[in-house]
Amino acid sequence: MPSDRLSATLSALADPTRRGILARLTTGDATVKELAEPYEMSLAAISKHLKVLEAAGLISHGRDAQWRPRHLEAGPLRDVYAWLEGYRHFWDESLDSLAAHLKTMQKRKLEE
Amino acid sequence: MAATIDISSMDQPVIVITRIFDAPRELVWTAITDPKHVAQWYGGPGFTNPVCEMDLRPGGAWRHVMQAPNGARFTINSIFEEVVRPERLLWRTLRDASRNPSPPTNHNTITLEETGAQTKWMLVSRFDSFADRDLTASMGFGQMISMGLERMAEHLRTM
Repeated sequence: MPSDRLSATLSALADPTRRGILARLTTGDATVKELAEPYEMSLAAISKHLKVLEAAGLISHGRDAQWRPRHLEAGPLRDVYAWLEGYRHFWDESLDSLAAHLKTMQKRKLEE
Repeated sequence: MAATIDISSMDQPVIVITRIFDAPRELVWTAITDPKHVAQWYGGPGFTNPVCEMDLRPGGAWRHVMQAPNGARFTINSIFEEVVRPERLLWRTLRDASRNPSPPTNHNTITLEETGAQTKWMLVSRFDSFADRDLTASMGFGQMISMGLERMAEHLRTM
């Protein structure tokens, strides 16, 4: 995966409000007004956050001109998740082998 | 035992992985700093390490080539930054210009803590290329993950 896209995604996720918005969208689509409810923020400020998320490809919106509910686009998040999983997997496997190797080392020591 | 990534209290582009080994600390230290031992486990089952050279001192180089089961080779070059036997090892990976895009470079710290006959191994990885791009300590990397890795995973499975 291009690390550029990963960085762009993480950059969009750098803000707690935006992470909150995404968390809300994991439970289903929502309008700007609904998304703004938990925050003491103007709708304009929320819209700004939504634009950042949209530019990062993390959300999209419907065609309905009046409601335009926002929808979570999980592709970029899946990239982050996959990358993290890959990293964890690398160490998991390595540490399994390290544990086995330590046993061999200890056995050799006893035999000496 | 699976490695755990502890990112709950982190608000930085940092990943923490811990593991307990049934071995004394000195032995674990040798296993992670002696290249002939490192080559035996790095990458996990199926992986080999045709090159592993460690100049174990601050500023010293760690030249490494890892080979995946499918034959693909990965060059990983690092510089040691701190070597405190038998408890702390710091190194930073160098950018691999031959790979485009090159994987994120990072700073790594392994600490070994003695707990009776066992040794607690902890890796802290801090990723530069995330931080580079205007991503300060307030990035919230860990928060994003802890916001619901489970819930997110659940959601991703349904897509």
